[in-house]
Amino acid sequence: MRRLSLRTTPGRVGALAAVVVLAIGGFYIVANIAVGNARDGLRVIGHDAGPQVLATGDLYFALSDMDSQVASILLTGREGSPGAGQQELARYSQDRAVADRAALQAAELSVGDPADQAAVRSILDGLGRYERLASQAIVLDEQAHHPAGPPPANVIAVYTQATDLMTLELLPPAYNLTLEGGATVRGAYAAKRSAVLSGRLWMALAGLAVIAALVALQFFIAARFRRRLNPALAVATLGLVLLTVSAVRLLSGEAAHLQAAKTSGFDSILTMSRARAISNSLHADESRFLLDPGRADTYSLAYLDKSQTVLYVASGNLGEYYTALGASMKAYRANPRAVGFLGFYGDEARAHPGLAVTAVLSRFQQFQADDQRIRQLAGGGQDRQAVMLLTGRTAGSSGYDFDQYDQAVVSLIGQHRATFDQAISAGDRELGRSVVGNWAVLLLLAALGAAVLVVAGVWARLREYR
Amino acid sequence: MKRGRARAGAWVGTVVALALGLSLTACSATGPASIVGRQTLRIGVKADQPGLGLRLPDGKFVGFDVDVARYVAAKLGVQPDHITFVPVTSATREAALENGSVDMVFATYSITPERETKVTFGGPYYVAHQDTMVRAGDTAIHSVHNLKGKRLCAVTGSNSWKRVTQELNIPAVLAPAASYSSCVAMLLDGSVDAVSTDDLILAGFATRTGSAVRIVNAPFSYERYGIGIRKGDLSGCEAVNRAVSQMYLDGTAAALLRKWFGRTSLQLDTHVPQFEGCG
Repeated sequence: MRRLSLRTTPGRVGALAAVVVLAIGGFYIVANIAVGNARDGLRVIGHDAGPQVLATGDLYFALSDMDSQVASILLTGREGSPGAGQQELARYSQDRAVADRAALQAAELSVGDPADQAAVRSILDGLGRYERLASQAIVLDEQAHHPAGPPPANVIAVYTQATDLMTLELLPPAYNLTLEGGATVRGAYAAKRSAVLSGRLWMALAGLAVIAALVALQFFIAARFRRRLNPALAVATLGLVLLTVSAVRLLSGEAAHLQAAKTSGFDSILTMSRARAISNSLHADESRFLLDPGRADTYSLAYLDKSQTVLYVASGNLGEYYTALGASMKAYRANPRAVGFLGFYGDEARAHPGLAVTAVLSRFQQFQADDQRIRQLAGGGQDRQAVMLLTGRTAGSSGYDFDQYDQAVVSLIGQHRATFDQAISAGDRELGRSVVGNWAVLLLLAALGAAVLVVAGVWARLREYR
Repeated sequence: MKRGRARAGAWVGTVVALALGLSLTACSATGPASIVGRQTLRIGVKADQPGLGLRLPDGKFVGFDVDVARYVAAKLGVQPDHITFVPVTSATREAALENGSVDMVFATYSITPERETKVTFGGPYYVAHQDTMVRAGDTAIHSVHNLKGKRLCAVTGSNSWKRVTQELNIPAVLAPAASYSSCVAMLLDGSVDAVSTDDLILAGFATRTGSAVRIVNAPFSYERYGIGIRKGDLSGCEAVNRAVSQMYLDGTAAALLRKWFGRTSLQLDTHVPQFEGCG
């Protein structure tokens, strides 16, 4: 074979073919990066930070509920039947089991992040100390045989140590891990979705460039060699058209799945998990308010702050809050499209109006109405009635209404979780499903196949020049 | 050949059109200017609260808030000499953030649901507790409830007096003031009976004023000191939260608390606080 020169026909054909093969290589690289970004986005949002938010949300709830149950046990004071407090004790152990499981899961998900791992470790360390203090308080309380209402000072002193440990050392890292998961998802979503979209553009351009070069090569050969069609080049061209079109569709789909997982699923999961955590902690503040008269002001103010974090209506104190909440809920029921309140539930009611959020809101309102009655009773010196209303588990009691409220929140989280899981698994499925298995393999095989076809198609023509 | 060229031309045209169209849609919303990636920062601090934010005669600012601000700014990648401290008061904090005269506020700025409607809060970097300060000779006031009918200093823009007269419904008589340093002066000259605000603020004044005042030591609230940033700067908020986590993890928080409040009788909490969250 003669030395190829660009001035000769075979030289030009060879050069053009080389350009086509290089362009195929470029297309492969660009497409591979774009598909890799989609895969990374799904991994972080769907399998890493997303589950971390759920696990740490459960962890916070279980921890906070343990403290809430201990407060209830101490408040009931074993009055009446020897079985009093048994339900709370059972729930305490159940919470403990949930906390263990969730902490384990959070620990698994935090592998590779030293700060997160330190946080999980400190929660587990603190939990052991908390349990010792809690059992000590429960034993002292049993010995005291006091009527329903605040226990003796020695019990309060030990409980105060326990609850301070819980609220200062255990709950903050759990909540911060939830927030950190949220921040990771937000960052990954912004970066990966825009990378997938710009990757789609670059890949489409690279695909078009390859196709244009192939068509040019086809015409050049047709003109110079007086052949109508070079079959190998035609097959390569057709294959690349199909590949480009389906890869663009894949990336559009992946971007849409990421968006659905984030905005229709994850954002609400995060908001509602935080609302659930803060709600449990304000419920515990209600018990602590009755339990420790010395800190009653502190716990009432914390209760108001937390209620306003969950659902904000302008109000200077708790009395005004109940009234403003009532008015705001009335207006909301009349027109659920005009959301006149802020806070977590304001965000949720605006983003996803519907029966599920309405159920949460009306049960929250019922819980607040119970709270108003509890504080009226306690203020009027009827501690026993206040405690009964707070710790009761039958319809009409605050304990029951709080559980109803919490279940409505859980079911709303479940709804968003289903949307989230669907979007993530659709994204995973489409990335893993092509004619030859996953997309990484398909891209490699298709690029190699196209390059081979180009070389083969050109080779046959160049042989004529021997 | 000619037809081929024409067709190639059409392809190129499509490609260019596509590129332009897609790149235009790629420019999406950016939100408010973030404090992330800045070379310089203007930080609002108090100028008259010893121990927290105090302007010295030479114009330098010192205090716990100032040191925390420096630490957080360093974690954001801002050189120490590129920080400008700007004095703010309780009344001017929101406006200073909204009109952009400061980028961040570290000024004993309690996170409240009401303020959150106007400001995004990073942190809290510390949780203080509201307490009450009286003249040393006053033995009648032992708790905030004893303030009924007493003259209570009310700093404009502060949340502390609202905690007493609104949230706890205690009918104290409010005496307006511009700052806690004026409150302390008013307490000493007898024009008010009590100053009720965060224990950290009171401790700073008590250290300076000496035995003329007494803190009643009956704390009654959680005051979560937030880092005020412009509403909606989520990445800025997430970045300052990471910095605050670091500050507790590497022991700086404990060291700063000891440095500024170690000689007081305050119980200092050296565990990372529960963050408010950015969204």
